Amino acid sequence: MATTQAPATRDRFAALLDPGRVIDHPLERRLYGRDGSIAQGDCGMVVLPETTAEVVACMRLARELGMPVVPRGSGTGLCGGAVPLDGALVLSVARMSRILEVDPSVPCARVEPGVLNLDLSTAVRHLGLHYAPDPSSQQACSIGGNVATNAGGPHCLASGVTAQHILGMEIVLADGEVLRLGGTAPDPPGYDLRGFVVGGEGTLGVVTEITVRLSRNPPHVTTMLLDFPTVAAAGEAVGGIIGAGVIPAAMEMMDQKMVVAVEAFVKAGLPVDAAAMLLVEVDGTAAEVASHTAVVERVGRETGAGRVRVARDEAERALFWKARKSAFGAVARIAPNYYLHDCVVPRTRLVEILARIYEIGAELDLVIMNVFHAGDGNLHPLIAFDRRDPAQVERVHAAGTLIIEACVAVGGVLSGEHGIGLEKRDFMPLTFTETDLQAQACAREAFDPEGRMNPAKVLPLGSRCGEIVLDAGSLPEGTWL
Amino acid sequence: MSTSNWDPSRPAPLEEDVVKCVACGLCLPHCPTFRLTGRETASPRGRIAAMRAVEEGHAVVDASFTTMMDECLACRACEAACPSGVPFGRMIEGARAQAEPTRPVAARGIRRAGLTGVLPRPRLVMAAGWLLGVARALRLDRLAPAAHRASSPPVSLAELRRPIPQTLGEGPLARVLSGCVMDVAFRPTQRATMRVVAAAGYTAARTTPAGCCGALAMHYGQPEAARAMARARIAEMEDAEIVVANASGCSAHIRTYGELLADDPAWAARAERVAGRTRDLIELQPPPSDAGIGTVAVHDACHHLHAQGIGPRGLLAGAGAHCVDLGDGGRCCGAAGLYSVLQPEMAARLRRQKAEAVVATGAPVVAVANPGCAIQIAAGLRELGSTVRVAHPAELVSPE
Repeated sequence: MATTQAPATRDRFAALLDPGRVIDHPLERRLYGRDGSIAQGDCGMVVLPETTAEVVACMRLARELGMPVVPRGSGTGLCGGAVPLDGALVLSVARMSRILEVDPSVPCARVEPGVLNLDLSTAVRHLGLHYAPDPSSQQACSIGGNVATNAGGPHCLASGVTAQHILGMEIVLADGEVLRLGGTAPDPPGYDLRGFVVGGEGTLGVVTEITVRLSRNPPHVTTMLLDFPTVAAAGEAVGGIIGAGVIPAAMEMMDQKMVVAVEAFVKAGLPVDAAAMLLVEVDGTAAEVASHTAVVERVGRETGAGRVRVARDEAERALFWKARKSAFGAVARIAPNYYLHDCVVPRTRLVEILARIYEIGAELDLVIMNVFHAGDGNLHPLIAFDRRDPAQVERVHAAGTLIIEACVAVGGVLSGEHGIGLEKRDFMPLTFTETDLQAQACAREAFDPEGRMNPAKVLPLGSRCGEIVLDAGSLPEGTWL
Repeated sequence: MSTSNWDPSRPAPLEEDVVKCVACGLCLPHCPTFRLTGRETASPRGRIAAMRAVEEGHAVVDASFTTMMDECLACRACEAACPSGVPFGRMIEGARAQAEPTRPVAARGIRRAGLTGVLPRPRLVMAAGWLLGVARALRLDRLAPAAHRASSPPVSLAELRRPIPQTLGEGPLARVLSGCVMDVAFRPTQRATMRVVAAAGYTAARTTPAGCCGALAMHYGQPEAARAMARARIAEMEDAEIVVANASGCSAHIRTYGELLADDPAWAARAERVAGRTRDLIELQPPPSDAGIGTVAVHDACHHLHAQGIGPRGLLAGAGAHCVDLGDGGRCCGAAGLYSVLQPEMAARLRRQKAEAVVATGAPVVAVANPGCAIQIAAGLRELGSTVRVAHPAELVSPE
């Protein structure tokens, strides 16, 4: 069980907020020891500020008390980025959830970090606008969390990931200093630190306000499902479509096991008998959509697609997307836990890497399912398991390592969109030299010299800049690295 | 190997249900209490994590656990949103049964007396109705604490004196549940229900006046009392072609009778049969008509939308209504059985949200097919000074 903080500490935070927004009961703290990943951490206390001023006050007090701070959005992250260690203070931005301003002329919106991704798109729909990055968890995840992980999503194939949609930010540093980065000007003066803070995974400070670019809704959209007799054929179709000069708005693949699990939830009439399914969306003018749809169908047929099912209306389109976006959760219909990787491989190596992943599953007697952003080679091999079986957990761990090594060996990277967090931290040396890691530690330290922001995440323990070592001490029992 | 800290003498969430949650968080935006508080402790994922902590021996059932479970509306919006199919409804019932010993003795006593002493006895329910009617006639309800005044059922002595036909219409037999709260506080709806069932081509026959289906007892940790009430209702409904209930909580609950009595060999098959024949009133299809309804705002009761996946639009449109959605994604109004009595503060915030959503539609009337929701939404509208009328779909499609 987590350590108990002295009541005096709780009272001091309660004096800054109000008692209802400070959580220190052991059971209640335990709920903040997890995010969407499988690591169970150790949360010392939770604060729920509502304004930047309150965040500043909490950060100053945490500094005085020497407490590490873990920022938390919706806690839907998949790599343990929001999992607190060693009794850290969890700073939840869930109550900072106001949309402060929408400017349709740019178009952009100024929002608090706790605003949910889909809520923002819903709020600007009447203006013909949306916020483009759309992680599968978009109904639940927060914009602040998206900034922390530089989140992606199916539609990032054509429109780019979170970093391409962040115009400006307000960030509170570990010592309580407030910085404003960027703005709506095309080229803000000075060094552009936005690209560093986006994807900072809460190790640089707490982002308290974000100005995001909004995108115009496309005039026409067509969404289709193509089913294939083999995973390799689906992989060839992905390369073929892009090779034919069409970059779809989104292009997603699901293998048979995944389709079966999801169909049980959405009942969309998905092709449960096919080895793989592609979900392809094209958008633009009526003429563009018609010609791109024709290309997708033609390439699909040439590479062996059986049925090509085009969504009849908006309701069916929404159902196709619901199927794709509930995939991870639906795994519980097969096993109570899942371990998910997020490697990106060159698109040309997709077919070969998928074969290797299935092979790893067979070798270690594990159920591995695939659902991923095929268009940009961002894999999500998902290992279903039951954490109550220790022997199985060990094999899951081994399979994860083998998958990552295989992806890196063909020129891939560790993470496409979920972040490094706790789970992939120790794989960083596979893609970075010690010098690279040192340089990253130095940049991090410029923001947080005491190493109190989300310690032990992203960079391997021991990464250092000069004399300072990033070290969170021992990891709690049950943390899985 | 059992490390669980559950009290073995009481119902508890099943381990196989608890481990199904993968903590993806897709339930969070659908949970009204999480939306209001931003607290993991007031979210489905958090509540399940708390159950799992007790299940795995990391925590005990204490006041904090009880608060988390009691803050839940049991609206089951999370269940409909869950890709893993976590059966949250039955888990929260188990968790509340476990929480019972941590509650103040006086509150437990009063509640148990109500759920196990009064509700199973139709005559006492009716007597309580008359007492409430007298109290309201004397304006004694003004003495209730302000926070609870909104939850008071609209009992009227004049209505209690007006009879409800015990049978009506011709055709196959439909047993119509009288119900507890409906029968004492919503008698015009009861009469309209008989007319709609008859119009749909059945011989509508009412069960024992004020006879409760047992839903409230089940939701509040008294499964034995709930089973006793289920047996009483099954015995008087099992001869029918269909069984009709006009309150969302009742139809949803009767549909689980099979599960409720699965371990009772003498009743399991009978319970299953009644469950299978159950229809909510809003699912009936009387011949098309024009009841002159005009524009009507539609409130989806949680036990329709989330627990049964049904709504009243078909019934209303069949009678010529123009239905307008509330535009709040079907969020719970905060009535939720006894919730508005037990958690008045959270309930008041949800009530206000819902009333504002109703007013925003501009419709002169809102259709509400559950007694708790009807009391709650009417109170919310009064608080806003609105003149929007609250009516059960049965009354709208079959006016007197």
